[in-house]
Amino acid sequence: MEELMEELKREIISVLNLEEMTPADIDDDAPLFGQGLGLDSIDALELIVLMEKKYGIRLASASEGKDIFKSIRTMAEYVSKNRKK
Amino acid sequence: MAEKEWKGNTFGTAFMHRWLIRALRYSDVRFWYAFAAVFVIPFCMIFAKGARTSWRYFRRRHGFGPLRSLLMTYVNLTLFSQVVIDKFALYAGKRMSIKVVGSDIFRRLASADDGFVILSAHVGCYEMAGYELVSDRKMFNALVYANEKASVMNGRSRLFADNHIRMIPITSDMSHLFRIEEALRGGEIVSIPADRVFGSRRTVGVSLLGAEASLPSGPFSVAAMRGLNVVAVNVMKTSARGYTAYVVPIDYDKTAPRREQVRTLADGYAAELERVLRMYPAQWYNFFDFWHDGAGNR
Repeated sequence: MEELMEELKREIISVLNLEEMTPADIDDDAPLFGQGLGLDSIDALELIVLMEKKYGIRLASASEGKDIFKSIRTMAEYVSKNRKK
Repeated sequence: MAEKEWKGNTFGTAFMHRWLIRALRYSDVRFWYAFAAVFVIPFCMIFAKGARTSWRYFRRRHGFGPLRSLLMTYVNLTLFSQVVIDKFALYAGKRMSIKVVGSDIFRRLASADDGFVILSAHVGCYEMAGYELVSDRKMFNALVYANEKASVMNGRSRLFADNHIRMIPITSDMSHLFRIEEALRGGEIVSIPADRVFGSRRTVGVSLLGAEASLPSGPFSVAAMRGLNVVAVNVMKTSARGYTAYVVPIDYDKTAPRREQVRTLADGYAAELERVLRMYPAQWYNFFDFWHDGAGNR
């Protein structure tokens, strides 16, 4: 799980162009949206595309996405259970 | 940049809209054009803040003199009223003639397997595109503001139902993003307004008509994420019942880093928007603070 969380942090930094950040700057449990990492709706779309391209996971609804994208840990848990790649 | 977020709906109450649709069933649009030009627009010229915004747009962006800017402001507001009347005339069952410049580009993209993104702006009357740019193969998904009144949404839904057009309202729960993503994944067309900031506050600075302005980066990001083709579509009013739609591809390097892709798309889109505005300066309908230097400020 730790390895997957690290990989997700690197992917997020890369696809969202968070050049000034390193994986160490992202807390495993901090909220990705709003107060935490401060991501917004366009970033959410980037994450949806990332989930599909990198892990073969297609998210079906906004409510599902809200739960999955709460934090790096929730993302990693979902990816480890549902990944097809 | 739009410092004040746009409310996202057509002027007037639902009752006014229903009444106008009913009246347009039994009357010629030119009667209503004349009514607006004589009784409504002079009032707007004096009291509407948008008129001052429009005047500054002609002065600073087109370099017109004070009197010519005043005249163009009148023309601008009059044309805007005509575009609104035309939309309701369509809901009332009237028809407009629409010529398409670049229809081969649309047909080629529409017959390919991949989806593509159409970028629009508040110039002319983009809604007219929904009656002419129709694909038998692909669903046309139009991102619209969720606050629009039921009278407008019902009119659109009724008219667009036969044209493979689906409207995606922008919502706070981000469900529109899933619908955009699903549509593009399925090889469909997604149409997004590219001149107003909504949802994400992220913007990209461009040069438009000689000054700095900000466009929302979201529409460009959406296309770049999947490396999709992008076209700008502007539908301009050319006569009482005639419109011309301009379909122009916006090219970008699909292998470049995302930030560069967004920048290239935004610059290309701004250049096309400027080309159209030079041809039709009076059909610019963003009546709010659009440029960084204050031209268009209320």
